Amino acid sequence: MIEVKGFSFTYPTGSRPALHDIGFEVGPHELCAVVGGSGAGKSTLAGVVSGTIPHLTGGSAEGLVRVNGRDLADIALSGLVGEVGLVMQNPFNQISGARFSVREEIAFGLENMGVPRDEMAARVDTVLHDLGLTKVRDRSPYELSGGQQQLLAIGSVLVMRPTVMVLDEPTSQLDAAGSALVFEALGTLREQGVTTLLIEHRMERLARAADHVLVLDGGMIVAQGSPGEVLADERLEEWGVAPLRYTVAARRAAARGLWPDARPLPVTLDAAAEGFGATVAHLARGDRR
Amino acid sequence: MSTVQNSPHATGNSFVHRLSPLTKLTFAVTVTVCAFAVVDYRWPLLLFCALLLPAAIGAKVVRRFLLMLATFWVPVAAILFVIQGFFFPEAHDVIARFGPLELKSEGVAYALLTALHILVLMGGFFLLLLTTHAATLMSALSERNVSPSLIYIVSAALQIVPTLSRRATRILHAQQARGQVIHGLRGRARALVPLVGPLILGAFTDVGERAAAMETRGFGATRRPTSLITVPDSAVQRSARVAMMLCAVAAVTVNVWGVMR
Ligand SMILES: Nc1ncnc2c1ncn2[C@@H]1O[C@H](COP(=O)(O)OP(=O)(O)OP(=O)(O)O)[C@@H](O)[C@H]1O
Ligand SMILES: [Mg+2]
Repeated sequence: MIEVKGFSFTYPTGSRPALHDIGFEVGPHELCAVVGGSGAGKSTLAGVVSGTIPHLTGGSAEGLVRVNGRDLADIALSGLVGEVGLVMQNPFNQISGARFSVREEIAFGLENMGVPRDEMAARVDTVLHDLGLTKVRDRSPYELSGGQQQLLAIGSVLVMRPTVMVLDEPTSQLDAAGSALVFEALGTLREQGVTTLLIEHRMERLARAADHVLVLDGGMIVAQGSPGEVLADERLEEWGVAPLRYTVAARRAAARGLWPDARPLPVTLDAAAEGFGATVAHLARGDRR
Repeated sequence: MSTVQNSPHATGNSFVHRLSPLTKLTFAVTVTVCAFAVVDYRWPLLLFCALLLPAAIGAKVVRRFLLMLATFWVPVAAILFVIQGFFFPEAHDVIARFGPLELKSEGVAYALLTALHILVLMGGFFLLLLTTHAATLMSALSERNVSPSLIYIVSAALQIVPTLSRRATRILHAQQARGQVIHGLRGRARALVPLVGPLILGAFTDVGERAAAMETRGFGATRRPTSLITVPDSAVQRSARVAMMLCAVAAVTVNVWGVMR
């Protein structure tokens, strides 16, 4: 459970707030997606929810951030270990640098938590399997491709079984198969009741996976709602977010009266196909008359 | 970067490989202490030939063992012979002349003894490195309550070369992508200059993010971390370690009392 109310934050070296008056809630079993252009404050928000900002960065913070009912201002970062998982934007920085194989790297967090060896081995092997990393398990983390490192970073957090997951562009370097595995893992987590905050550029996947979408622009939440509402908003591009191509196509079609009147603009391929299908059927009927 | 460089990787499965790293560490320390305890060049030579060399042969690492000694020990020994042979203070027994330089027997004897001491020291630790995966050693130390921060620093030091080289490759690729064409040796040298900035700065600016990652992964969260890697050990090995430590203590005592001088 994540609750943020009236939260603002300015970096110690920042002249203006990186986040301004942010408010939202994400419940268990929910996946909330965050979108926005470069420098919008997405990574800052990820740091705030995972407790690293302002605990480790310093800077001035105002407002409330609660995770699983606890005010983050009142607890040390070590108190959140295993409860909140953070997958950072740059997987390279997340690798401990002190483990010699992928398998050991994934175990690092569990070792630190003092999990018994047998349980640890089983959990590590499950994660390796789920993320398709079994074949590179004995390689050095530094001998992986960027995408494999990203999967490794995700795995090393997943294995700790946090109840709140924060992922900062976890699929930016992954191919279709890799991101499918990640979204599959996220789906499983959601079924297990995990609260997820996901920063992601792949709108198509978001539209299908998210319960809720936030748009950040200049450190402020400029829109939030269901994927259908938010991703079809015509101001999306102004906010620095590229809309889906079929949403744009449907909007252009609608301007020419070629989109069914009451139908919302599509944010998934299926919805787009249905909408255009309905239009075609309508036109065909009109022709026959 | 090869795996071998990343971690002094021991892929073998000999009797020596399967020993606890602590046993091998104790062995390395004990033979070194024993070698230094006696002032007679035949003694370290005996230790090397009777213990270290057979162990390396038994572990099937003798080729790499000798190669490492050739790389690290031979230069040290050569320097010792030159410096001590010619410039040993208060030596007067000249055995050869090279122009103004006089080679003296006292110096040669001292160099021989010191070089053989170092041979045993290097031999013991190379044997440990060649037959032990770094991860197992770290795990063993962790089980002995060695501070997690110290273990982290040692492990990270073993990995720092691949980390930096990986970062360097990335920066080079990025710079080439921005149109910096690299031709020939001088071009390569020049390409290193802009590499230094991002490399060093990057290493610093990433510190905060790395620290955050380590914290969220629970580094330092418990006093007693567990370890994924199993460390092989046995009652026999534990007793052997105690015996070796007693040996080392005895060697030091004997040396201090000067009984064998
Ligand atoms: N460590 C820092 N110190 C000072 N200012 C920072 C720091 N990190 C980020 N900022 C500033 O805060 C703002 C938000 O940055 P943030 O990294 O959160 O953006 P983002 O939405 O994640 O961007 P991107 O899509 O490029 O990852 C930017 O204006 C940035 O310059
Ligand atoms: Mg970011």
